[in-house]
Amino acid sequence: MADFDRESMLEMFSFEMNQLVDQLEQTIIESESGFSEDIINEVFRIMHTIKGSAAMMLFDTIATATHYAEDLFFYLREEKPTSVDYSELTDHVLACMDFVKEELIKIEEGVPVDGNPQPIVDVITKFLADLKDEGSGVGASMAAKEEQLILSQGSQALQVDDEDRTTPFGSYRFKAKIRFDEEAQMENVRAFTVYNNLKPFTLGIVCDPEDLTSDDAITAIRKSGFVITFTSDLEYSRIFDILNRSIYIRDIFLEEYTKESAEMDRLNSFDIMLKFDEGSQMENVRSYSVIHNLKPHADYILYHPSNLLEEASIDIIQSEGLHIDLVTARDYDEVYDLLSQTIYLKELLVKEKYADMDKDVIMQEEVRPIEVEQTVVASSPVAIADAPPAPAAEKADAPAASAEAAGTMKRTTSQAVISVSVSKLDQLLKLMGELVIVEAMVTQNPELEGLTLENFHREVRQLKKIIKDVQETVMTMRLVSLSGTFLKMNRIVRDMCKALNKEAVLEIIGENTEVDKNIIEHIGDPIMHIVRNSLDHGIEKPEVRAAAGKSERGRIVLEARNAGSEVWIIIEDDGAGLNKERIMEKARANGLLRKPEDEYTDREIFQFIFMPGFSTNEVVTSYSGRGVGMDVVNKNLEFVGGTVMVDSVPGVGSIFTMKIPLTLAIIEGMIINVSGAKYTVPIVSIRDSFRPNPEHLFMDPNGNEMITVRGDHYNVVRLHEFFALEGAARETHEGIMMIIENGEDAVCLFVDDLIGEQQVVVKSIPKYIKKIRGISGCTLLGNGEISLIVDVAGFFDR
Amino acid sequence: MALMDHDMMERRAADITKNLYLAFVIEDEQYAVEVSSIKEIIGVVPITIVPQTERYIKGIINLRGDIIPVIDMRTRFMKPLVEYDDQTCIVVVLYQEYILGLIVDQIIGVYTLEEDAISPPPNAKLSYSNQFVKNIGRKEDGILLLMDLEKVLFT
Repeated sequence: MADFDRESMLEMFSFEMNQLVDQLEQTIIESESGFSEDIINEVFRIMHTIKGSAAMMLFDTIATATHYAEDLFFYLREEKPTSVDYSELTDHVLACMDFVKEELIKIEEGVPVDGNPQPIVDVITKFLADLKDEGSGVGASMAAKEEQLILSQGSQALQVDDEDRTTPFGSYRFKAKIRFDEEAQMENVRAFTVYNNLKPFTLGIVCDPEDLTSDDAITAIRKSGFVITFTSDLEYSRIFDILNRSIYIRDIFLEEYTKESAEMDRLNSFDIMLKFDEGSQMENVRSYSVIHNLKPHADYILYHPSNLLEEASIDIIQSEGLHIDLVTARDYDEVYDLLSQTIYLKELLVKEKYADMDKDVIMQEEVRPIEVEQTVVASSPVAIADAPPAPAAEKADAPAASAEAAGTMKRTTSQAVISVSVSKLDQLLKLMGELVIVEAMVTQNPELEGLTLENFHREVRQLKKIIKDVQETVMTMRLVSLSGTFLKMNRIVRDMCKALNKEAVLEIIGENTEVDKNIIEHIGDPIMHIVRNSLDHGIEKPEVRAAAGKSERGRIVLEARNAGSEVWIIIEDDGAGLNKERIMEKARANGLLRKPEDEYTDREIFQFIFMPGFSTNEVVTSYSGRGVGMDVVNKNLEFVGGTVMVDSVPGVGSIFTMKIPLTLAIIEGMIINVSGAKYTVPIVSIRDSFRPNPEHLFMDPNGNEMITVRGDHYNVVRLHEFFALEGAARETHEGIMMIIENGEDAVCLFVDDLIGEQQVVVKSIPKYIKKIRGISGCTLLGNGEISLIVDVAGFFDR
Repeated sequence: MALMDHDMMERRAADITKNLYLAFVIEDEQYAVEVSSIKEIIGVVPITIVPQTERYIKGIINLRGDIIPVIDMRTRFMKPLVEYDDQTCIVVVLYQEYILGLIVDQIIGVYTLEEDAISPPPNAKLSYSNQFVKNIGRKEDGILLLMDLEKVLFT
């Protein structure tokens, strides 16, 4: 079996795992005060899935850790003990998840996954044992021991001395057919796992389809199941258990070929050994044709060596011969005749199994080669077993197996989400743009001018509608909600409160705000560091809070909102606030001051906390004080072109505001016309637009133009002048004034015309062009024209 | 396997374009750029003016969904401006990680210049546009000024 290309599988694996871990953490934290039955089931299910997937990818450390956690929840589910310390239980589960996360990081970084799950296993086992002692006192950790039993038996079986064997096969012969859940996906990979799990317990194993790496294998498995033919020294039930360990299995049909079953079905069993002439060459291919010829007659066929397509098997055939274990309806003579037709045959030994000794016929003679038309199939996968039995027969044959499989293999998660690489989305978006342009080129083709084309135009409308729908779908595909990032903070707040003996609630607002995928990746860490900082430095201990007349329980609000062409993430706490003097002192000591101290505004002073190595905390805790965290905030935000601002009032609390531009996002834009050029203004920042009355305009002493609108005064920005555009400017009464706002600030923007609203994809200006104030990016309009996107914030930070 | 094939293709592509130069006209002079750094040549397409940039950055264009800046070579070389016509072309070059369009008057063709046909320019920089010339190539019916993209784009 060729080694599997694991890269894409790993990607999917870590994606799935991370989601499960997040989901589990969330579930656990929400219910720390007490676990309902549903929650226990949920946790059990997630643990089981993580274990299964990890085992499938051969990450034993993860599988082991989660296995014991699963045991624990199995006990909780079945026994429903009453006196459970849920807080402690939560700690254990979270510790287990932390371990899994660490291992996942190793997997993603491609370093050896070598964590030691033993501490977690010990703690959980002890916790479970205590639970059991308190409960009915039933023997401790039965489930765990049972599992080990299976494993140890398996390895013992392998050590069975095979000196007294006459064939390279095991005592029991099996054929298993496995079908996977419809939502399983990547059936070939799943099949490979089953194969890998089973292999150590078998002697001689052949699967169909043989080449699991091909996509054809997926189709074949979906159509007729995954068939494994093997022999083993383990009994039926053990084998069934081993098969059943894999996930996503819908049903297992395991058939054992015994003497009795053979007699019942009037089948004969044979042990066959054949050898080829020396110098006949390509013994593996010859063996292959032998097998191929036998197959139509076989109910069950297993051969050794099993990997005939590999050249390594040539040596084995030369030295030991080709061994075949065959169950067939044909009798001895027929089998013998069939085999003796093989060309270059040197030695043929056919032995009827279960037959009386005197009936054994051992042939060892020069077999005359007979010229037979040989079908040498070299590349197509070998179909080893005969056609799989009809599903009805399957059910009738193994009702117990099916029932058992259905019972243990219940899957509740359905795959409603798939992972797609971002580069594919980018590509799709680009193609979409081209499609729109070509559409315009076709439908507005000059050659159509003057023609009466009623039907044509009707179809064009239909086409346009569909293209528009597709475009909108493509655009929204890139957006990811912030909820995942936000909900993670629950865990951090919970852990820190416990460690620091503080009390705090985290309130989350606007977590459904959607941000482009690329941005999400860069704001997770900054949010985390600020939340940590708020808890560590902001929120006081309960007794201090009580003394200050605040409620003992602190409050942290995490909020996201769309603001113009930016997303704002606001983290507010009702803690002690920042200590301005201390920060100033520290800044002075570190030589960070660049102007006279009294010229620093509060916001400027607070900015110092984002400098590398800046911490006013004397004591380094496990959470903060080393002065690394807040530095990350600035670095990450710079990367996505964002900023962070701090407001703080001593004794009342602090507000951290992160402003992140929507560099790659999709926005609703108003397309405007200025001197013949089309610009796009984000709709969210437009408060109002109207035709100005020139009488309402006036100049301040500095020559700044202002306008009075319903009693409020605004600065006027004439876009034509701001961008120093060529071409004639409109008269004031012919143009349009738009009140645009950025947070609390507002300004009046004077433009020529409003053209219309449109959803646009924000593209960045090529980096060859340096940053332009007042322009945040550009976008492609439906006709392929480029429109520059107005950066509303650019009008305010003069 | 796939990786090797890719490398080989790249190498082969490099072999094919070795010593090949695309020649074009800017005002009265013939300039040339290595074919290996040229992505494609297109006619003049609508250009979106980007305010507050260098004067020679004519604007940005939409090249099948990619936004790329275009440089007007006449402005860059401080030559008198003319209306774009059907001879005017945008030569799309890939230099380092930047993709840019260069607006030139006219494309002449592709020439093979062996190493002995290339010599360094005279030291004296007599005209403004001379500073953008890296080398001088000789072809049968005249000379080609081999353009220094680094200088054109980043000085």
